[in-house]
Amino acid sequence: MESLQIPPVDLRLLTPLLIVVGWAGALLLIDVFFVPDGRKKITGYLAIAGLAVAGLAGIPLWNLSGSTFSGMLVLDRYSLALTWIFLIAGALSIAVALDYLPRHAIEQGEYYPLIMFAVGGMILMAQSADLITLFLGIELLSITLYILTGFAYPRVASEEAGMKYLVLGAFAAGFFVYGIALIFGATGATSLAGIAAYLGRQPFAPQEETLFLAGASLVLIGFSFKIALVPFHMWTPDVYEGSPTPVAAFMSVGTKGAALAALLRVTLALEEAQTFWLPILAVLAAATMILGNLGALGQSNLKRMLAYSSIGHAGYILLGIMVAAERGAEAFLFYILAYTLTNLGAFGVLIALEQRGEAAWSIDDFAGLYQRRPLLAVAMALFMFSLAGVPPTAGFMGKFFIFTAAYAGGLGWLVLIGVLTSAIAAYYYLRVVVKMFMQEPVREVRPELTRGLNTEILIAGVATLILGLLPTPIVLLVERSLVALGG
Amino acid sequence: MVPTSYYIMLSAALFAIGVLGVLIRRNALVVFMSVELMLNAANLVLVAFARERLSIDGQVLVFFVITVAAAEVAVGLALLVAIFRTKHTADVDEVSTLRG
Amino acid sequence: METLPILSLILWLPTLGALGLLLAPRDNAELARRMALIVALLTFVVSLALPFGYRATPGDASTMRFVENLPWLPMFGASYSLGVDGVSLWLVLLTTFLLPIVILSTWDSVHTQVRNFQILMLLLATAMIGVFISLDLLLFYIFWEFTLIPMTLLIGIWGGSNRIYAARKFFLYTFSGSVLMLVAIIGLYVLHRDALAIGQPGYTGTFNFTTILANLRGGALQLDATIERLLFGAFFLAFAIKVPLWPFHTWLPDAHVEAPTAGSVILAGVLLKLGSYGLIRFNLTLFPEASRWAAPAIAILAVIGIIYGAIVAFAQSDMKKLVAYSSVSHMGFIVLGIFALNHEGVSGAILQSINHGLSTGALFLIVGVLYERRHTREMAEYGGIWKVMPVYGGITLLVTLSSAGLPGLNGFIGEYTIMQGAFLAPELSWPFLGFAVLGVVLAAVYLLRMYQTVFMGDLRNPENQDLNDLNPRELTTLAALCLPIIALGLYPAFAFEPMQASVGEVLTGIATAVAGR
Repeated sequence: MESLQIPPVDLRLLTPLLIVVGWAGALLLIDVFFVPDGRKKITGYLAIAGLAVAGLAGIPLWNLSGSTFSGMLVLDRYSLALTWIFLIAGALSIAVALDYLPRHAIEQGEYYPLIMFAVGGMILMAQSADLITLFLGIELLSITLYILTGFAYPRVASEEAGMKYLVLGAFAAGFFVYGIALIFGATGATSLAGIAAYLGRQPFAPQEETLFLAGASLVLIGFSFKIALVPFHMWTPDVYEGSPTPVAAFMSVGTKGAALAALLRVTLALEEAQTFWLPILAVLAAATMILGNLGALGQSNLKRMLAYSSIGHAGYILLGIMVAAERGAEAFLFYILAYTLTNLGAFGVLIALEQRGEAAWSIDDFAGLYQRRPLLAVAMALFMFSLAGVPPTAGFMGKFFIFTAAYAGGLGWLVLIGVLTSAIAAYYYLRVVVKMFMQEPVREVRPELTRGLNTEILIAGVATLILGLLPTPIVLLVERSLVALGG
Repeated sequence: MVPTSYYIMLSAALFAIGVLGVLIRRNALVVFMSVELMLNAANLVLVAFARERLSIDGQVLVFFVITVAAAEVAVGLALLVAIFRTKHTADVDEVSTLRG
Repeated sequence: METLPILSLILWLPTLGALGLLLAPRDNAELARRMALIVALLTFVVSLALPFGYRATPGDASTMRFVENLPWLPMFGASYSLGVDGVSLWLVLLTTFLLPIVILSTWDSVHTQVRNFQILMLLLATAMIGVFISLDLLLFYIFWEFTLIPMTLLIGIWGGSNRIYAARKFFLYTFSGSVLMLVAIIGLYVLHRDALAIGQPGYTGTFNFTTILANLRGGALQLDATIERLLFGAFFLAFAIKVPLWPFHTWLPDAHVEAPTAGSVILAGVLLKLGSYGLIRFNLTLFPEASRWAAPAIAILAVIGIIYGAIVAFAQSDMKKLVAYSSVSHMGFIVLGIFALNHEGVSGAILQSINHGLSTGALFLIVGVLYERRHTREMAEYGGIWKVMPVYGGITLLVTLSSAGLPGLNGFIGEYTIMQGAFLAPELSWPFLGFAVLGVVLAAVYLLRMYQTVFMGDLRNPENQDLNDLNPRELTTLAALCLPIIALGLYPAFAFEPMQASVGEVLTGIATAVAGR
């Protein structure tokens, strides 16, 4: 056995990650020792500041690329672009929580560093070029999310959601690790480059092939759980419903985005495995688009509806991953950004309407919202239209890019399923709009709009419109970010 | 030396037992243990392959898995305690209506 | 060519007006109406430059004028590119002409949230004009889809008792129809890019309609017959639902009946024309072979629509429903004309689109006038209205006759030209002409029956004793509509003339397709 050697380490490439994780650790202590109870918002602001610093620290890295820790972690523009998206998602999720937590009497300073750790996990996933670090990133993200899901102690729904999420998450982790182990057994490597190199030396022994295929399937199952692809999606609605709404918002864009981003990297790296990998992904994508959107149809609880809708959207994003080489990666990044902003905006409106101590997010609460809070209703309508993919919104542009890439990549039948399911989806998104604008209020709901929430909804709304009308600068940025990936 | 395939078979059996445990058992503690079984099955395979291939990567991953598993169980038990306190019931079966 | 981007001006003036209205106080209805009216009139005045500045002669390489081109999504070859030709010219003008009329009518028909109504109406105007003048397929699609949002809200917020159902049906029907068109647009883009990338590697492709069309005609892009038919079908479905062609028409009566008067006018006047315009602009030009292939079947649907719409209209007792079903019948004529695939048919269809916009728009306004006074649209409630509202009765007679196709008025010219086209088309000929004539006869029957029931006879219902005749505002709107109705009837050449070159251009592909057989 070879002797253990410490590989050369270039920490510069990990600056944003280190800042986020280091700051989160420090913040945990600062929160305990220096921030008095009842003024925990300070911790929140500090957390946002930390995320902002990490984002700024990423700027000089734009022209840098390389790998460190013997190729386990890489920095390229793709990971950097994702890092920024994740930082935005984290910052917005903290912004909506600033007033949510005290209003629901669950204000604990740890909330903010935990979100930061989760963001750190997401960045780690984006930078991973090795299944080991990928696993670590997933777990860092997941374990913090288990805690955050159960954060609304003593609300039983929240605790149970946390428990459910944990058991399923750990279950998925089991598949993931076992899959890695089998792949390692077949190829003798855990790094994507190593596995790809092995696959390039075809043909290989039948025994090894069996091991590899089994391992890849298990890894894919692990991914599917994290992304909530049908048929591994059953936990999503329950967990979203139970968890505190800002956490659900963060999860809907965060876990999904990071896991999809990692899946994209794996798919691109293992080009040799595509003949085996793509048909499975195609079936998963089709099932996810269809069942996710059909599931949302029957929901009268808006949080559950958004959960199902997020499942459906994962299906669309999967299309982009499957044709990553054919401009799909670009479409994927744009879609993730568009979806992140839109969905966080929609959840922001949901938070504004959430009354203290209530666990119902009935669609009826939206009835007549337009008469009481016209701007809020207009913003929500914008988000709904964007999620449905009606122009001129970010959601439409995202769908357009994804569908174009998929069509060019020869996935015409999936595009067809995609547009037909968007037509189904239009039904339930439109229902919200109809409620808000065309019906009378059913009961008294007093939306609470605070500064943090206002800012978040405003940012999300403006971004949704701009990405829909003038996406060119962002697309250019995204395009450049993919130079290194060869996408 | 024991052939690697034996280890694989053993670990596959352990993994299957773990999966079944998560799917079938309703008791949260048993579910945790089943998850641990799955992770340890993976560890066993990793170590076996690392030995066969004389590569250290597998061994490294084992350490990470053990750490992660510990963290997961710590959070899980904390959640369990929280639920236990809220519901005021000594019967874990009642609160863990979970399935895979 | 032009120094002034006149199309952009027409396109964005209403939106600017809408943004300006956002700043206006919420509760000042009068101010909102006036602002919107000024913006609409301004847009109309600017758009008058189009017919006077438009010159095209047959044989021109392209009959697009006032072309603007700005890069928008260069990596996809999508651009902000606008232009009008003889096909879209009058439709743009119809839109800008109806807009101030519709806004003027809101003084009498919209009383709640007036400011927001005007904002949506102006946004809708931008979207509709955008559809007519976009020369980029992606831009076109965006405007096309965006029309849904304001229209749905207009129906759903200001509509009648069953408005939510109608709004939802309208949105879902048209949205489902157009998603397939998105696939077709993407498909066309990819096929075109791949075909041309052989010659020039790294080609990003384009969504520019003119370029794609030129390459299709030039042979640089050749479509397999099956693919062409599929693409044709996807475009066709979206447009057929919008037109609406039987059997896709079921959303229309609901939407019309529930929409507020101003909404109905704009829906019948312009929104339906998006469909017929799309059929001419995209289906006929891009897919001539498939058009030929499908023409007989579509013509049959059109004829069924003509007869069905007429019969159902005859059975209505509600005036608004009657007018709505008459739209189904009249739009059937337009589709029949388009798929006659000859010069007469297509020119007639374009002219009839304008005519239908004017006369059906006027009919909805007329129904609205009575509804505002009596809050019922049942014909049985009325009778002898002429006696109390003579001016109103006179104008209604003129509009009804125009809609029924009386010679000397605009409707006759359009229907006659369409029938001539149908007759001359070898695939259609006599039987279709016969059904079309039957449709005209039936139209006369149900329209005149409505007129007779409502206006003639004795003043039976005492509640109608004290009805006031048209107020100056109503008179202005209706008189403004009557003007082109008479003018087009007496001197249709004015409208036909600029169309000729463009219609010829539209039909070049069809002509080649025939010659090649």
